[in-house]
Amino acid sequence: MEGVGVLFARPLLCFCGFINEMRNSSVSVILRFLAVVFLATGTSAPAMDQYEQRARALFVEAVVAPESSQSLLLENLVGSAHPCLEPFLQGWQREQIFIYQSPEGSKIPILKVEENQSVRILRVDTGEELKEASGSLAAWNPEWKAVETNSKIRRSLKNTIDLLALGSSSPSDRAAAALKLGLKQSPASLPVLESRLSQETNPSAKAAFLDAIALVSLNSENPDQRTSALQRLGESASLPARDAIKRLADDSTQPPQVSRAAREALQTIDTRIFWIDFFGTVFRGISLGSVLLIVALGLAITFGLMGVINMAHGEIMIVGGYATFVVQCVFGNGLAFAPFGLSMNIPGFGFDPSSAIYQSYFLVALPVAFLSAAATGYVLERGVIRFLYRRPLESLLATWGASLVMQQLFRLIFGPANVPVASPEWINGSLNVEGVLMNYNRLFVIVFAAAVVFGTSLLLTKTPLGLLIRAVMQDRSMAGCMGVPTTKVNTLTFSFGCGLAGLAGAFLSQIGNIGPGTGQTYIVDAFMVVVLGGVGSLTGTVLSALGIGTLDQILQTTLRNPVIGKVLVLAGLIVFLQFKPSGLFSAKSRNLEES
Amino acid sequence: MKSQISKRELVLGLVAAFGLIVVIPGLNAFTPESSPLHVSNFSINLWGQYLCLAIVAVGLDLLWGYTGLISLGQMLFFSLGGYALGMHLMLKIGRLGQYKSDLPDFMVFLGYPKLPAHWVPFAEFWFSALAVVWVPGLVALLFGYLAFRSRIRGVYFSILTQALTYAACLLFFRNELTLGGNNGFTDFKTLLGFQLADPATQRSLYIASAIALIAAYVFCRWLTLTKFGKVQRAVRDSENRVLFSGYAAANYKLFVFVAAAIISGVAGALYVPQTGIINPSQMEPSKSLEAIVWVAVGGRGTLIGPILGALGVNSLKSWATQAMPAYWPLLLGGLFMIVVIFAPRGIVGLGNQVGALLQRRKSEKTEDPAP
Repeated sequence: MEGVGVLFARPLLCFCGFINEMRNSSVSVILRFLAVVFLATGTSAPAMDQYEQRARALFVEAVVAPESSQSLLLENLVGSAHPCLEPFLQGWQREQIFIYQSPEGSKIPILKVEENQSVRILRVDTGEELKEASGSLAAWNPEWKAVETNSKIRRSLKNTIDLLALGSSSPSDRAAAALKLGLKQSPASLPVLESRLSQETNPSAKAAFLDAIALVSLNSENPDQRTSALQRLGESASLPARDAIKRLADDSTQPPQVSRAAREALQTIDTRIFWIDFFGTVFRGISLGSVLLIVALGLAITFGLMGVINMAHGEIMIVGGYATFVVQCVFGNGLAFAPFGLSMNIPGFGFDPSSAIYQSYFLVALPVAFLSAAATGYVLERGVIRFLYRRPLESLLATWGASLVMQQLFRLIFGPANVPVASPEWINGSLNVEGVLMNYNRLFVIVFAAAVVFGTSLLLTKTPLGLLIRAVMQDRSMAGCMGVPTTKVNTLTFSFGCGLAGLAGAFLSQIGNIGPGTGQTYIVDAFMVVVLGGVGSLTGTVLSALGIGTLDQILQTTLRNPVIGKVLVLAGLIVFLQFKPSGLFSAKSRNLEES
Repeated sequence: MKSQISKRELVLGLVAAFGLIVVIPGLNAFTPESSPLHVSNFSINLWGQYLCLAIVAVGLDLLWGYTGLISLGQMLFFSLGGYALGMHLMLKIGRLGQYKSDLPDFMVFLGYPKLPAHWVPFAEFWFSALAVVWVPGLVALLFGYLAFRSRIRGVYFSILTQALTYAACLLFFRNELTLGGNNGFTDFKTLLGFQLADPATQRSLYIASAIALIAAYVFCRWLTLTKFGKVQRAVRDSENRVLFSGYAAANYKLFVFVAAAIISGVAGALYVPQTGIINPSQMEPSKSLEAIVWVAVGGRGTLIGPILGALGVNSLKSWATQAMPAYWPLLLGGLFMIVVIFAPRGIVGLGNQVGALLQRRKSEKTEDPAP
């Protein structure tokens, strides 16, 4: 159904285009006004409110107008831009807007939408599909002429599209669009911003509109307005405004009160930038430290508590990573692989990658990773380590042999390349706290590490198994004399430590790569954490992991060189051990061999 | 441990030395290629490299077998020696490089205007040769001083040495170090004016490696016979008792650590002109662990064991990486695990171990006969 007004307006608009061609602008303006009034009073279209109608009419007018006045007419859309125009504006950018000559002789702008194989033809004025007089859908006619663009029109189109975002339904999009507009510092956008501000209800978007208005006012003729705009920007410590404020501060022609305000605003903003950088670095440091912590925790159990140097720890961690990969494949379309030249196929459930079940695969992967790594640890303990409890140096060597074997097995089973593990969507994205961006997956690792540490310490201190573990750690032979089944406890403890490593691997698969050699990159760091923290101390492990992680990040950002940072951390560690040879927290012992 | 060298050992040693230094190169130089006794140029080069690795193994055994210190960073010192000589070899390429420049190719490639100051003295062979000794020695002295002073021992010492070589590896991968980044040095042309591609030069390098190996062996053997060697073994067996007896165990350990580093450095310097390349991957922690495998497989605590281990494992490696490259790491890892668990004294100790086992069986049988 078309509104009566629209029926009248169309020939009127065409006529106005005709008049425009004669460069009689005053007549054109009056006619346009009439057309708009007709449109505004046409009320019968059910799905179209008056704003939308007005916007469509103005757009139609711009399309049919002669080229010279098109960009001017597009600028007029500022303020009445409506989201419904977006596909048409973009269509014009791509030169997909055509003019359809109706049998009655009127010009109707249409948008060509190519979908797969078919072509849909949409009328700009109604947004509906173009119909023949008979009521059937019109077929595409290659002779229809596209509405051309030039650089000026494209610029106007882009401006208008940017403006459209001001009316977006998401507050953060509105805020971003307002700041984008403000940064252009064009006085023409001031009325739009102010009218939008009056409608705005969301506080953060409101602040962005105020900032944008202040940014535009920085170019104002009136020094008082400039000063108050600077004060506003200083108060909100707006980061995007820094360049504009710097220009004012450096401009010696400005009156003194303006330059003073500019300098003050600049200082506030720089202080804020400093703190944002600082907290960003600390946050990244803590999250890196948490990764190290999960990796090192398993090691702290096997090395710290049991005195077993497990060089295969990194590989056991990667078992967890590969387990995550396999679970992901099973949730998806299955996994085809060829270990040792045999071809194998694990059938999958075939869930759609966007479905909620597929997205939750990671929750299933966590226990699977824990169990598979613990099982690997069990085999390693029973097959290798139990022979070597009295020879710690040799357990180091034998487990290195095991790590070599495991790496090659990964290579033979999963191939030499890294395997792709997709993160569930719910841990993508980031949280913005006062300008400090926190990635959800980094936040997740911090929470995860805290939970794992808490769980481990509960296990060690509050359960019967924990009691037995600690007894065996303190004195294996004495515990044996008291009837503790030491070999069983050893196996369980070692498996548990390996299970923790598997959890670390599952997590690493979300933030890094999983490949046959990945374990090697973490193993040295993990050993450093345990040695620094003090062997056998969970508190020490936590502190040293967070400390090494943060220090590493701070050195990396200040030196801008990751390698030198790493080397300095290692050198610092060696120097530190000069003063505290047994780490931050070490169990006090009178045993000479343990001191 | 006998305190004297037996006549049998002396004779066997002299025969082995004669074979390595005179017979094998002689067979290479003076027999026709068709002869069944002929040793090819390829074999001479390969065995020259193995001998260099055996030198590292001897040094490592002095540390591990006799002092109880496992260094997981021995190949760092090897590489440092190699780099020190490599710098000299790079400068001697002269204008024969790809870019026809006085600067080494990688410097041209990275846009260096002139030779960095610390490179200049390496144009002299004597300076480079001295650096082969003092650079690894100094690094070992500094690290060892810090480590032993704070009584870092056992597994902690091992892990720290591994961290040391890991850090150095990361550092050497950087171009800023002006040592060729990840490509390292290669494409050498001459050494002391001799063409490296010439079989005679390679033969001489082989002979030099053999002499160095025998010198390292003799030095270590001599050391174990002295009072120093006794203290050394006492440190291995019970460091605290040594301390309580008034010996500065740290000094003994430091001396051995530095000596082993220098031995490795010399081996590296001999190795580089024979392989024709040195790059940071030589410092990767896994390379040093491979050196540990040679000693473990051969038998630590004897000086001949590590030599046999290095030669044997490396020949096995050369064969296996050709015949079944995918399974070589499985073989190496598996072999190592089995040796560590079941034959802690290596191949050399295997005879004794089996003998002891048989002895026990026999005595069990005689003591309580089956009812």
